[in-house]
Amino acid sequence: MNRLAWLRRSAAILAGALIMNAALAADAPVGVKIPAHQRFVLPNGLTILLVPKKEVPLIAFSGFVRGGALADPAGKPGVASLVAGLLDRGAGKRSAFEFADAVEGVGGSFNASAGAESISVSGQFLARDRALMIELLADALMRPRFDADEFAKYRDREIEFIKSAKDSDPSQLLPEYGRAMLFGSHPYGRPQGGSERSLAAITQSDVVSYHAANFGADRATLVFAGDLDPKWMKQALTQAFRGWAKSKSTLPRLEAAPRASGRRVLLVDAPGSVQTYFWLGNVGVDKRYSGRPALDLVNTLYGGRFTSILNTELRIKSGLSYGASSVFVRGTVPGQFEIHSFTQTENTGKALDLTLETLDKLKHDALEPAMLESARAYVLGQYPLRLETAAHWASTLADLEFYGLGKDYIEGYGPALTRVDLAETAAVTADAFPRSTDLQIVLIGDASKIRDMAAKYGPVTEMKLSQPDFVPAQK
Amino acid sequence: MSRVSWVASGCLLWSLAVAGVAATPAKPAPATRVPGADQVHATTLSNGMKVIVWTDRDIPNVALYNWVRVGSRNEVPGITGLAHFFEHMMFNGTSKRQPGEFDRQMEAQGGANNAFTSDNVTVYQDWVPRSALDLVFDLEADRLANLSFDPKVIESERGVVYSERRLRTEDSNEGFLFEQVQATAFVAHPYQFPTIGWPADIQGWKIEDLQSFFKTYYAPNNCTLILVGDVSAEEGFALAKRYLEPIPRQAPPPPVRTVEPEQLGEKRVYVERNALTPLMYLAYKSPAANDPQGPAINLLVSILTEGDSSRLHRLLVEEKKLAIEVGGSFQEGFDPGLTWLTLTLPEGADVAAVEKVLDDALAQVVSQGVTDAELARAKNLYASTFWKQLATINGKASLLGSFEVFEGDYQKLFDSPATYERVTREDVQKAAALVFQKNHRTVGVLTAPAEEAAAPQAAPATEAAP
Repeated sequence: MNRLAWLRRSAAILAGALIMNAALAADAPVGVKIPAHQRFVLPNGLTILLVPKKEVPLIAFSGFVRGGALADPAGKPGVASLVAGLLDRGAGKRSAFEFADAVEGVGGSFNASAGAESISVSGQFLARDRALMIELLADALMRPRFDADEFAKYRDREIEFIKSAKDSDPSQLLPEYGRAMLFGSHPYGRPQGGSERSLAAITQSDVVSYHAANFGADRATLVFAGDLDPKWMKQALTQAFRGWAKSKSTLPRLEAAPRASGRRVLLVDAPGSVQTYFWLGNVGVDKRYSGRPALDLVNTLYGGRFTSILNTELRIKSGLSYGASSVFVRGTVPGQFEIHSFTQTENTGKALDLTLETLDKLKHDALEPAMLESARAYVLGQYPLRLETAAHWASTLADLEFYGLGKDYIEGYGPALTRVDLAETAAVTADAFPRSTDLQIVLIGDASKIRDMAAKYGPVTEMKLSQPDFVPAQK
Repeated sequence: MSRVSWVASGCLLWSLAVAGVAATPAKPAPATRVPGADQVHATTLSNGMKVIVWTDRDIPNVALYNWVRVGSRNEVPGITGLAHFFEHMMFNGTSKRQPGEFDRQMEAQGGANNAFTSDNVTVYQDWVPRSALDLVFDLEADRLANLSFDPKVIESERGVVYSERRLRTEDSNEGFLFEQVQATAFVAHPYQFPTIGWPADIQGWKIEDLQSFFKTYYAPNNCTLILVGDVSAEEGFALAKRYLEPIPRQAPPPPVRTVEPEQLGEKRVYVERNALTPLMYLAYKSPAANDPQGPAINLLVSILTEGDSSRLHRLLVEEKKLAIEVGGSFQEGFDPGLTWLTLTLPEGADVAAVEKVLDDALAQVVSQGVTDAELARAKNLYASTFWKQLATINGKASLLGSFEVFEGDYQKLFDSPATYERVTREDVQKAAALVFQKNHRTVGVLTAPAEEAAAPQAAPATEAAP
């Protein structure tokens, strides 16, 4: 933790630009091509992609094992997240310390985390350490130890990290409360990292069983990009992974969650807080949404860049907040559209009213042609920065593999953006953005000061920030 | 989701802590000069502004960074936070452009921007498609030459900055303790000021403060312009001459005269706030960025705190289970500053016990030094981070700027792997002896108020540490 620098704008604003997954050079709108690569599937079903890209002497990898939080046992959210975190805390012939030392000793990195539908792995090693990289990756995926002591230590720390976030950055927990409220018992409503309470109930055998049932070659894809020799890599990877069995369970089916109608408010009491952190959301669109190019342009204008409608109202014109943004989270089935901002406790009502007004304006007013052109130039101009490095390409290609999207998802995106017209933007605005009267609202703040005001926006449920779940206690 | 505190960590300045050369623990590779030096060209405009261009045509974009040598270190009581507030005001209108036009025009041509302020510098960053090069020079020159202040916009931006302070300091235990330790560590030097500013100062700035700040510090001869990407040196220099050279040179800003007197005993600061997880931050007086011992201090901090195999993580988090997270940083600036060790503790932790174990571990580094394997590990982590930075136009612009501004010569960037490779175990031990002096440190502890700590929290069914 350090606080050397103060930024002009929050991460969320810049992240708005990050959510769109395609590339384009402004000078050459059809210019971005997926780099030449090899793709092959081992007899056990493991899919491997190799992308040679020599610029710096590094190899990046990015991959996934299908399942993620979706495969968590009933009533135990957080199992997949613990599995992910424990993959490198002891694997193969190495203890947790020996594994970390092997990775860091050569200046490498290894990360694993659980998402709603998969466990992802990523990392980067110096090219000369390619053999060690493959050995460590194979150990972590196929032979994690899940030692009892490491399990308990890691689980207990994860619980403490949630408390630590409550102490120092409650706004990062908003989506946990929001998704739980919006999706309810649907898998997207589960806290992917678990809650303090759910983590405490998870045992070592839950983790071992999850891995045994869900980790298998046929569920996995690995992408390597960088300073690599495809022939050598193919041979070494085949050798390392050919003994991986197929998975022993079937993936749970994921149904689309219905959109919520009407408004509800969850007030999370953080006594003494001087600001209210708020989140408004509803179910949005999925990864294959046909109106994606138009929707990306409209969300850029609404809450995806600095001069967006939201940030203009809440920050630039009123000075109410350091930042306001919106995003569509898109999965196999529709994830959430969410708005996120914060303001001084006393101004909570004013900021919420303005937020709702911006949504009304978006839904009711026609987009000006100049706005559309500006958004188009912005998305086209910023895109190449997300597809610059080998690591960018590894994660982008893994994403395409996960959702079964063709190369047109990347290469056709630019041309599609150039074709978007006002009729399309009007159509996706009507279809994908919720009405201001259909929103689930989460407020984290000092309840004694905003309780009465909150009731203006819908029926209020209240809980304490210190409660060990992301949903109010069941009656 | 990344934590806001990480976002605020000024990765650009950390680039100084990150260089090295490919080397296995057993057999360090010979340190060679990093390739690329021949693609970098520099010139100094007649008004004193240095312009550095690194051509990299991998993507059709350009990163333009303007490094201004001003930060909260140039402030005085009453105007703390002004350097950062000024950074915000640089986007809010000129005599030629209305407030908001800067962003609107840049985004409409496909560009994005940001800026950050630290104790030492203020850096303006633009990322644009090469088709917007003319515009971005026009915008940058306009705000350097013609900045104007609209009283209404000042009031609105004051609210924005206060909201940023509430987010990162007042509603954050980490931010709050950091500010308290920093303010306690220095008795004289302006490094004691929080860069975001004290609340009363945020509310008190006047338009005249901004005007005089602009006149004093935003001289072209106090700026360094970095261009990296799809642009040739000839193009970059020509644009700089056309747009920026007409801005007249000014008298150089007055130097920071105050030298922090030697600290002659440990200082402690306690904070009681609502807290589930206690915090312990230690700040040790340390040399300036350009000190010859800088590389050894960076490697020392890496050995102690970087990654799960680092010494303090292994001891405090994995073996003793006394902390849930350990961090460290050598805060490099123009003047002698601080080296930080930051510990997040589990609920109910025995703070005194943690400190004892930590002190013993630090004493051991001072008396016995580090191992060859630990040093090789730190050098390798340094090398890979360095290469990752060189893979983007953003990272290259950060490295060029930080070496030019803090080390006095961007060319040192290309020698830095060799510089780090030369650091020995003895150098690291000497650095430990220099930095880890109890008489030179400030210890900050944040816990819940006593009566609240005694009351049962709504805790999950795990055992808290005794």
